Amino acid sequence: MGSTTLDEQNFRHWCQLLLQQSEQLKDGWSWEAVQVMTFITVTCVTSLILYSLLPQSLSVVSSEADLVNGEIDIDDEDDGVWTISEGSSQVLQYEYHILYSCSYSTPVLYFRAFTLEGRSLSLEEVWSCVHPSFRLRLQKSPLSTITLQEHPLLGQPFFMLHPCRTEEFMKPVLQAAQHKHRPVNYVLSWLSIVGPLVGLDVPLKYSIQLRPAASFMASPD
Amino acid sequence: MSDNAESPTETQKEDTPPPSDESTISEEKKKIDVLLKAVGDTPIMKTKKWAVDRGRTVQSLSQFISRFLKLDASEQLFIYVNQSFAPSPDQDVGILFDCFGSDGKLVLHYCKSQAWG
Repeated sequence: MGSTTLDEQNFRHWCQLLLQQSEQLKDGWSWEAVQVMTFITVTCVTSLILYSLLPQSLSVVSSEADLVNGEIDIDDEDDGVWTISEGSSQVLQYEYHILYSCSYSTPVLYFRAFTLEGRSLSLEEVWSCVHPSFRLRLQKSPLSTITLQEHPLLGQPFFMLHPCRTEEFMKPVLQAAQHKHRPVNYVLSWLSIVGPLVGLDVPLKYSIQLRPAASFMASPD
Repeated sequence: MSDNAESPTETQKEDTPPPSDESTISEEKKKIDVLLKAVGDTPIMKTKKWAVDRGRTVQSLSQFISRFLKLDASEQLFIYVNQSFAPSPDQDVGILFDCFGSDGKLVLHYCKSQAWG
């Protein structure tokens, strides 16, 4: 296993392990199959906070740039000033699908989001739910990382988290796994990194169970 | 030869300053030792060992590291626990320490990456 990508067989294997853990944790992941292609999916109802960047912080940056006319130290403006918009915590239903991308040889995350009344969220609304620690950087990239796509198997519109950076952020994990001769669940690790961007929290228990010292005699929580 | 250093006081960025009353649970004020390790060609922090409030979130710590390393606004910092998964940004470091700490410290690996896409 010298590569930082994933072949389809291993993808299924890791998904299977994840599903086993999910069953123990009653976390709700399940297999779906469309013709011969399979993917795993989970639907969560979560209360997500809608973040917004204070307009003032943006204008401060630009006016300082005009005045100073040179490098401004943006350290203090790093991440901007995030605030939680008044009364903008929403209960939403998110549906996540993990598919295998043949072109990137990595998992890829598709999702859609609805209000409890069944209205789909717009791309802009989805962006406002992205955690502040990621949002600025995601939005600054020339290729927007979250885009609206046609689900490869279902044909319906889904949001997709672009997989082109996957290899890069998986590299440290895979190198460490190789080095320590300790296998790591690619799909689980990948999900723990990309999930938080789009409101999916991977419970710590998934990772605790992977520890060698973990006891499997513990009663399910 | 201890690299130990207290977490610096952070300039408050939030609109509403955190509550300053002393009734804050003292539990959160307890500090845990965090050892930060760079991955790949990510800059190494001169001070690697930090005493961090249990109640500090991963996101807060990540922001601190990013500022300390003077990361560009377009650079993303990734943090790994056990070199095998990423903790949720809202996770308390105290909890991570309880679950994954060893030898009295929580080892976190960090890696910077270029902008997404």
